Amino acid sequence: MNKFKNILPPILSIILAFAVGAIILLLSNFNPIESYKSLFNGAFGSAYGFSETLVKMIPILTIALGTSVAFKAQLWNIGGNGQYTLGCISTLIVCVYLPAPMWLKLVIALLLSILVGMIFGGLLGLAKAKLNANEVITTLMFDYIIALFLSFLVYGPLMDPDGHNFPQSKLIEKEVLFDKLMVGTRLHSGLFLALFLVILLFFFWKTKEGFRIKMIGANPNVAKLSGISVNLQIMLTMGISCAFAAIAGYIDVLGIHGRLQDNIAGTLGSVAIVVALLGNLNPIGIIFSAFFFSALTVGGQCMQRFMGVPYSLVTIIQALVIVFVVASKIIVEKRSKK
Amino acid sequence: MNAIEMRSITKRFGSLIANNNIDFTLKKQSIHALLGENGAGKTTLMNQLFGLSIADEGSILVEGKPFKLEHSPQDSMKKGISMVHQHFMLIKNMSVCENIMLANEDENFPLLNPKQTKERIIQLSKKYHLGVDPNSIIDHISVGQQQRVEILAALYKETKTLILDEPTAVLTPEEVEDLFLILKELKRNGKSIIIITHHLNEIMDIADEVSVLRNGDLIGSTPINEKTSTKELSRLMVGRDVNFNFKKEKTNSIEKVLEIKNLSYKKEHVKLLDNINFNIKKGEIFVIAGVDGNGQKELCETIVGLNKCENGSIFLNQKDITKTNVNHRIKNGISYIPQDRQKSGLVMNWSISDNLILKTYERSPISNKFFVSTKEAQNQATRMIKKFNIKSQDNNDRANQLSGGNQQKVILAREMDRGPALLIASHPTRGLDVGAMEYVRNQMLELRNKGGSVLLISADLEEVFQIADRIAVIFKGKLMGILQPNCGVAKIGRLMAGLDEEEINE
Amino acid sequence: MSSSFIISLLVGTLRTSIPIILAALGQVYVHKSGTLDLSVEGTMIFSCLMSFIAAALTKSLTFALIIGGVSGLCYSFIMAHLTVNLKSNQVISGTALTMLATGLSSYLYRVVFGIRSLPPIIENFKPINFGFLTKIPFIGPILFNHNFTFYFMLLLVIITWFIMDKTSYGLKIKAVGEFPRAADSKGIEVNKIRFQSILIGGLYSGFAGASMSLGYMNTYTDQMIAGRGFIAIAVVVFARWLPIRVLFAALLFGFANTLQMRLQSIGVAVPIQLLQALPYILTVVVLLGVSKYVKFPSYFTQAYSRDKK
Repeated sequence: MNKFKNILPPILSIILAFAVGAIILLLSNFNPIESYKSLFNGAFGSAYGFSETLVKMIPILTIALGTSVAFKAQLWNIGGNGQYTLGCISTLIVCVYLPAPMWLKLVIALLLSILVGMIFGGLLGLAKAKLNANEVITTLMFDYIIALFLSFLVYGPLMDPDGHNFPQSKLIEKEVLFDKLMVGTRLHSGLFLALFLVILLFFFWKTKEGFRIKMIGANPNVAKLSGISVNLQIMLTMGISCAFAAIAGYIDVLGIHGRLQDNIAGTLGSVAIVVALLGNLNPIGIIFSAFFFSALTVGGQCMQRFMGVPYSLVTIIQALVIVFVVASKIIVEKRSKK
Repeated sequence: MNAIEMRSITKRFGSLIANNNIDFTLKKQSIHALLGENGAGKTTLMNQLFGLSIADEGSILVEGKPFKLEHSPQDSMKKGISMVHQHFMLIKNMSVCENIMLANEDENFPLLNPKQTKERIIQLSKKYHLGVDPNSIIDHISVGQQQRVEILAALYKETKTLILDEPTAVLTPEEVEDLFLILKELKRNGKSIIIITHHLNEIMDIADEVSVLRNGDLIGSTPINEKTSTKELSRLMVGRDVNFNFKKEKTNSIEKVLEIKNLSYKKEHVKLLDNINFNIKKGEIFVIAGVDGNGQKELCETIVGLNKCENGSIFLNQKDITKTNVNHRIKNGISYIPQDRQKSGLVMNWSISDNLILKTYERSPISNKFFVSTKEAQNQATRMIKKFNIKSQDNNDRANQLSGGNQQKVILAREMDRGPALLIASHPTRGLDVGAMEYVRNQMLELRNKGGSVLLISADLEEVFQIADRIAVIFKGKLMGILQPNCGVAKIGRLMAGLDEEEINE
Repeated sequence: MSSSFIISLLVGTLRTSIPIILAALGQVYVHKSGTLDLSVEGTMIFSCLMSFIAAALTKSLTFALIIGGVSGLCYSFIMAHLTVNLKSNQVISGTALTMLATGLSSYLYRVVFGIRSLPPIIENFKPINFGFLTKIPFIGPILFNHNFTFYFMLLLVIITWFIMDKTSYGLKIKAVGEFPRAADSKGIEVNKIRFQSILIGGLYSGFAGASMSLGYMNTYTDQMIAGRGFIAIAVVVFARWLPIRVLFAALLFGFANTLQMRLQSIGVAVPIQLLQALPYILTVVVLLGVSKYVKFPSYFTQAYSRDKK
């Protein structure tokens, strides 16, 4: 009965968001039914579409897992884009420039991505813990800074000499890249790593460290009195959160991109926030909402191509979902306090 | 004509009847005490007079004229009724003048009029000997002075009836005397005053009449004269002979469980703890008495491990723990019941069981190497709920669904179940009903009789004298003296006000 | 460095700072009343587009500026309702609303203007001719050669200072963010003031967004605001919520932005992207340096309800 209560608000929010989207479509002279049909077909109508949905789900899911860890501790890390990019850069540098056998490259790239994510997050956490620097703004500023850094790299030192001056890096050798799961699609074995991370997080919340992170988010005063070093926990939590996003970058570079290019992160970061919140910061909930939102993303591109509906409608729907989820939380809370 | 008449006032909160058909009359130019223990319904009754809540049944007359039950504090103030709350409604980083301008929109709209306001403040302050400086910032003046600012704010609005909610709770005995002088002056000037209190002795000093409330009922009203007996009033208040008669076996222990040497602590250049020296023996209840805000919180937090002191040392069972962290001290037997139970004692929207294992989740039996066992946590919780008699329907009830007394029991259970070497309890009985108070004090005595020690922080002198083995008084971060319980209230009072100092020889 | 370079640098600094100052001034009301409003960026994006559409359709810049303010005000209604009436988490609400505005503006822009290769252009605010004042050496070109939005901004600095410091309304706003319960007991409608403060912030953000498309540039692109809303939040904290200080604090960022543009055009050995990152790096540095030492309003980010105890 309780579980049902938990699922109802998110589902209602989604329906409402689509309803508002339909109104917007009507007002701009689009046929909502045809548009949504195209959306749905894009994501599920074909094997390729479905595979794309899964492909997009992988980074969204992974980043969202990290976002949920931070949010659970009431640390508002919204810089998923930048952290994902850091993972991409680390992976590319190792895989292209480190002379090592293939398997070793894969391992080191993963470790480096995790390390870079943890250090980056740890430093931002330190800034928050010791200097009270608002993590919303710092993580967001770094989105811009890291994106510019990436731009610098692909226009500069890492530019592919055979790339006709395109802002992209060299391509990683074929053997290093992840295997394709379905022929003729982009779906790759990175999917298993992502799913493994979900299970990892699920068990993480049952550990002592998970308990500590939950306590910090619920009441930092009590946490301090329970012997928890709040400053250390903030650093650790931010580190873990950023590491997840960096791993997402690792997976994507080896799974679909194969190289670095300008603006590699796109809008993954903001979608991850929506996904984490819709999934109620719970790993299982996050899988479902990640799947749903990547379907939206993939379908949205189809909708734009075939119906001429600007892709930004998808962004609107995604944002509306959170607005409605947030608004509904109060109503749920009011009922339960009775 | 009476200043205030409340007739047949009834107020319900769900199934709880907070005020049951209460009649209350305030005579003009008199001081009327509203007596009752915590939870009796005194503040509820006055909230309805003042407009912070609305009575379900009954009627109110102000100077003979009917006053509708549904009214706001603004309406009350227009009728000349003001209320000074227990927690002052003053903006700390603003000046006295700004605080008063905030409450007096009419003369300050749209532009602020500080000149006029300051003149009037000085005028009123002189007339009633309040000693208030309109330019002083609230944060920088003492609690007693802040209270006088609140009284001045009420006078500024030309109040005729003044309600004071537990005004003496935050004052030293000296300051209480000053307050009573002011109240008598107000009375002479035609004001009528209601004092909500549970301190019997003070009523005898200042009140003309007293009404006793118990469990939502009016037990009786009587004028105060030489014939009035405190014992009788006390019995009316509690409903039985109050016999806080606790069995205390004489303790001969010399072993020290806690030793504090030359402890000092500064924050933002303010010395909050000043060269503190004392020790606590095994099997002893050591009480630190003092008015709130004289360093008690900082002392507790330093001993618990939250604050790092720049000078001094702390020894627990002869081992130097000065540089150790909170976790280490918990493991070595220090337990802490913080003053603010909802802010620092419990995670309000967590379940009772999660709150109970907050400090033991790391160790077996609840945890093995990495994982926290929900099943084992529930077992422990069930055991503790039974042992400490916590009233709840379900282990998984949230803490914010419990009553104040039960919330305190959860904290107590968590902190005492481990059998601590030293229990630090900060105002543990504040806001609890008599039953819960007795329970908490008994628990502390039990711990003491078994050989454990208690460091009790209290501002309730009744409580202090009931269970202390030794009493220390803290004033502005300094220990003014360490005394035996037979020293008397007056002595303690003087130390609390900083008027005396005893040499501390340990 | 020639004096004309310095003058151009200073003029550019003042010009670039206008949107940030306008947005930050609005946040003085919002923060002081106890709300962290992260939808500033979104409000700026939305009003930037709306004022641009108004200018493109009516060719009246004054009208467009007003539309900018009004659309900012209207958009902030959502934030106010969510955080004050529904008492929802301020961080999540603000972030969601910025996302919504980003999508909404992008969508609306395409619907109204269609898919184009080059963005549409309007006649924007031109520098006002102050006659002989402009000819005063050094001061003249720096202070008297700006368009209307600059002087509008200066006016708002003074208005904001006056309201916060000299009126009872300003005092109430501060009380509400510092100790809402006490304010409530003095008869102040806490949530009404908080609601209004967010709307005022939205109005200012609206003007800030409008100043981007009508004054700073003469067009609209999706990525125009580029984080200025968030920079404005850092600026207002850095300025300790004092309107005059906001003016000077924002100049720091305007300077960073202008400097990197001038250096780019000169052609320095530093990579372009590092220069472009200067304002953002500066924001982080400022936050790191200042956040521990400023005194945020005591009830910042906490919702208020009377029966909360």
